[in-house]
Amino acid sequence: MDRFGRFVEVWLRSHTFLVYLFLYIPIVVVVVFSFNGTARRVTQWDGISLKWYATVLSDKTIQSFFFNSFIVAISTAIISTIFGTMAALGLQRAPKWFARPFEALTFISIIVPEIVIALATLVFFSTSWDVINPILGTKITNGYHTIIAAHAVFNISLVMLLVRARLSGMDRTHVEASFDLYGTPWRTFWQITFPQLLPAIVAGFLLSFTFSFDDYVITTFTTGAGTTTLPLYVFSTIRKGVTPATNAVAAIMLLITLAILVIGQIAVARNSRRAGSRGNDAGMAGMITDQNA
Amino acid sequence: MADQDLDQMLKRMAATKVNRRGFLWAAGLTGGAAALAACTPAATSAPSASAAAPSVGASAPAPSDAASPSAVAAVEPELFMINWGDYVDPDNMKQFQAEFKVDKFTYDTFASNEELLTKLQGGAKGQYDISAPTAEFVPGMVEQGFVQKIDWAKVPNAQYIEAAFKGLWWDPKDEYQLPKDWGTTGITVRTKIVKEEVKTWKQFFEVAPKYTGRIVVVDSPGDVFVAPLKALGYSLNSVDPKELGEARDLLMKLAPHVLALDSDQYNTKIETEEAVLGLTWTGGILELRDKPETKDVAYYIPEDGTLFWMDTWVILADAPHPNAAHAFLNFIHGPEAQAKETMTNGYATCNSEAKKFIDAAMLNDPAIFVPDDVLTKLEGAKDVSTNPLRIQIWEEFKSSIG
Amino acid sequence: MTTMAEAAPARARQPRRSFRSAFLTGLLLLPASLWYLVLLVAPLVIIVLFSFGERGKNGGYAGGFSFDNYIAAFERNTPFVTSLFMAVAGTVLCLLLALPLAYFIATRAGHRKSLLIVLLVVPFWTSFLIRTYAWLTILGPEGLAGFIGDAIGDPAFRILGTPFAILLGVVYGYLPLMVFPIYVTLERMDRTLVEASKDLGAGRWATFRQITLPITLPGLVTGSILVFIPLMGEYVVPAILGYGRVFLIGNQLVLQFLEARDWPAGAAKAVILILIMLVSIVFYLWFSYRGRKTREVSVL
Repeated sequence: MDRFGRFVEVWLRSHTFLVYLFLYIPIVVVVVFSFNGTARRVTQWDGISLKWYATVLSDKTIQSFFFNSFIVAISTAIISTIFGTMAALGLQRAPKWFARPFEALTFISIIVPEIVIALATLVFFSTSWDVINPILGTKITNGYHTIIAAHAVFNISLVMLLVRARLSGMDRTHVEASFDLYGTPWRTFWQITFPQLLPAIVAGFLLSFTFSFDDYVITTFTTGAGTTTLPLYVFSTIRKGVTPATNAVAAIMLLITLAILVIGQIAVARNSRRAGSRGNDAGMAGMITDQNA
Repeated sequence: MADQDLDQMLKRMAATKVNRRGFLWAAGLTGGAAALAACTPAATSAPSASAAAPSVGASAPAPSDAASPSAVAAVEPELFMINWGDYVDPDNMKQFQAEFKVDKFTYDTFASNEELLTKLQGGAKGQYDISAPTAEFVPGMVEQGFVQKIDWAKVPNAQYIEAAFKGLWWDPKDEYQLPKDWGTTGITVRTKIVKEEVKTWKQFFEVAPKYTGRIVVVDSPGDVFVAPLKALGYSLNSVDPKELGEARDLLMKLAPHVLALDSDQYNTKIETEEAVLGLTWTGGILELRDKPETKDVAYYIPEDGTLFWMDTWVILADAPHPNAAHAFLNFIHGPEAQAKETMTNGYATCNSEAKKFIDAAMLNDPAIFVPDDVLTKLEGAKDVSTNPLRIQIWEEFKSSIG
Repeated sequence: MTTMAEAAPARARQPRRSFRSAFLTGLLLLPASLWYLVLLVAPLVIIVLFSFGERGKNGGYAGGFSFDNYIAAFERNTPFVTSLFMAVAGTVLCLLLALPLAYFIATRAGHRKSLLIVLLVVPFWTSFLIRTYAWLTILGPEGLAGFIGDAIGDPAFRILGTPFAILLGVVYGYLPLMVFPIYVTLERMDRTLVEASKDLGAGRWATFRQITLPITLPGLVTGSILVFIPLMGEYVVPAILGYGRVFLIGNQLVLQFLEARDWPAGAAKAVILILIMLVSIVFYLWFSYRGRKTREVSVL
């Protein structure tokens, strides 16, 4: 190899290394400073301590924020996974006149910036309650339901796209074989199609859970009284000045999402092998990268 | 253990970071933390009163000494408050919860009056019981049906409100609001770095170019407009296009020199010398004067006049827990509780009886309890926040900072 | 996370289309359709309607029909220009960082490929808010800025609140979105093409320019659009790292809806932003369609 070639190799290698460093330094900083024993400013190091974790974990308010986040994320994930998967299956059989506009909406739900969706939703809910409440004599306001409903829009699209990608790469010979053997569509679906789709469904569920769990922008414009979630809490403490307690909450959030990623990774990788379908070597991570293509 | 740490953290925040408009937009999280931590009854016993209120002593008094309201029995076990971040003394919240068996005290926050209105407009109506908007916003809220009349029979402590604060233009018959506290918008200076005299808005604008990138300004249009309008000798409520045009020019000249628009941590920026000149409130600033390393911090009420603002307690329309809300209003204006509020927040109270429990040093601080001769230079705010020209200038200012 | 270009794969023709089957199809699509209709179409329609109206006396919306809000948006377009500049600069930076990285993973990583991919997904997977605020500590006056300030003897040296800080924040946040699609195209690239090119005596640069780059192009375009979308509407990063100084269109929208409570003026700007996004994406579709005609390589 010539000198220039070697230079390119070295450069590629060091570039990659530096980018990974860049990606991980902030995460490391948050985690490291969450062990800071200081009672003063966050940057003043004062020995390793777990006291901020103890503080945060025993704090009833933060517990309630965690609970709120969990309720919102799990509901969003369930709704998005079921409806998104259904839509992907339905779309496969839908006539063009329906499929095209539907796809266009999926497309819009993804390209319109989140802040626009969030503000439009704020205006929409506000206007709706103004119209609905006097007519029905009700007092509907914002709460869990508005956050979940708004989160689900993007996540339904997400799950749908994941499942569709899987469907399109699916080996249809089994389905046809099943039909040939006079299997009912219902049984064919559960015995043949569903297991093959499972990795995409699992990935969709975990992705939408995570996106919902971490969402700040939409949540902040659709939240009601007493439905503050962890990201809203973190944002407000950022505005106020980051403390070691903020870092501890952040580190716990990181841990939760990472645990989900690991679970998903294992589940998807195992299932891919078993289903013997066009798997990818990097499990769910591979799925995410594929999806972004 | 953990409770104590949290307690200390809250104390520290209460002591150093209480800004009136200390922006906690999602929840008065730290304050709320205290409130809910208090759900565990054990946590309420506490030697806690002492740190926040040395003069009251550690007596941890049963505070609503003046005539407990008759409706105690009917007080709901919940209270939903939406307020400026960290704007109620955590000990008072604990005390209130313990006394009235309010298990769940939700403290959500807003960053600006406008945001409160947006939230009420946007689906929060009927969710919250109590709030503390700035006085000039009360008439608009009444007009839109966002607030309800206060049942004064349930708030006997309202008798302590000084006459000067009654029957003001925003609520001529005193039906809808109970004064919370009041203060000024002024100039903060690190005198060890800024050697010039900056005691007027005019001087503020003159000196600003010398301290490029070291000026902090609160992120609140109603307060920022005060500076140019007063420097020019106009009313701070002006909506005259010509006057506003001149004010705009001054603001645009200031914009390139501003470090940050910050209503939450302006005091931190002053403390670390990141900023050395500020258009700020007093919250969080006065404490700096007491620390040795920042004793050169000075707060001036500009001699060419400035804003006198007042925040007011209101009970929101369709409040789910009206009795708890009334009980809270009465509780918070109990003289000792009110004194604690004043000493935690650093803003002047309208409650004559409470002054007996406030440190002399604070009572005599002209930056808080403004002397009468200075008082005449202050001007109350009208609700001009909806003026389109003001909005436009504010946007222009915001987009040309730095 | 993906685009329509890919959302139209193999629609298997069902041989027998009975009423029952149509009913089932409808049932499957009903919930998602309703969701879109109520929570996507309706809010956007309201925004469009409101954008022609006037601000109510106490804020919000009052009826009316005029183009004033649009005219105003075009007359005072600084935030749009700033956002556009930031979005383009951010996208280009992401591109420059992502291409060599993706190339390395796809061609040089060997058995560590999976690990590297997972390591790339992890930051993308974790809270954007947390990853952003971490930079507060790193860049702050007690961090890097203080260090550089001391070094150059300027106590007023700042990083936070400058466009650089915002750029750093967004590049950091959205870089994985650029790497993934480029990686996938490179990964699926037919390596023999490169060999053939070399065998035919083409130099390294010629090979890169004539083989690798054209093949990667769809990935580059997808990545650029994926990064461009959130960059244009960015709100969180300037809110955290901006000191209120860097004023992007996202911040202006929040200001108009929340502070000024001028819904119509905000709505008009939202509509303009959506149109900008649509135009960019249509351009992208046209671009990738053109690309696909000439070459047998696509992101699908």
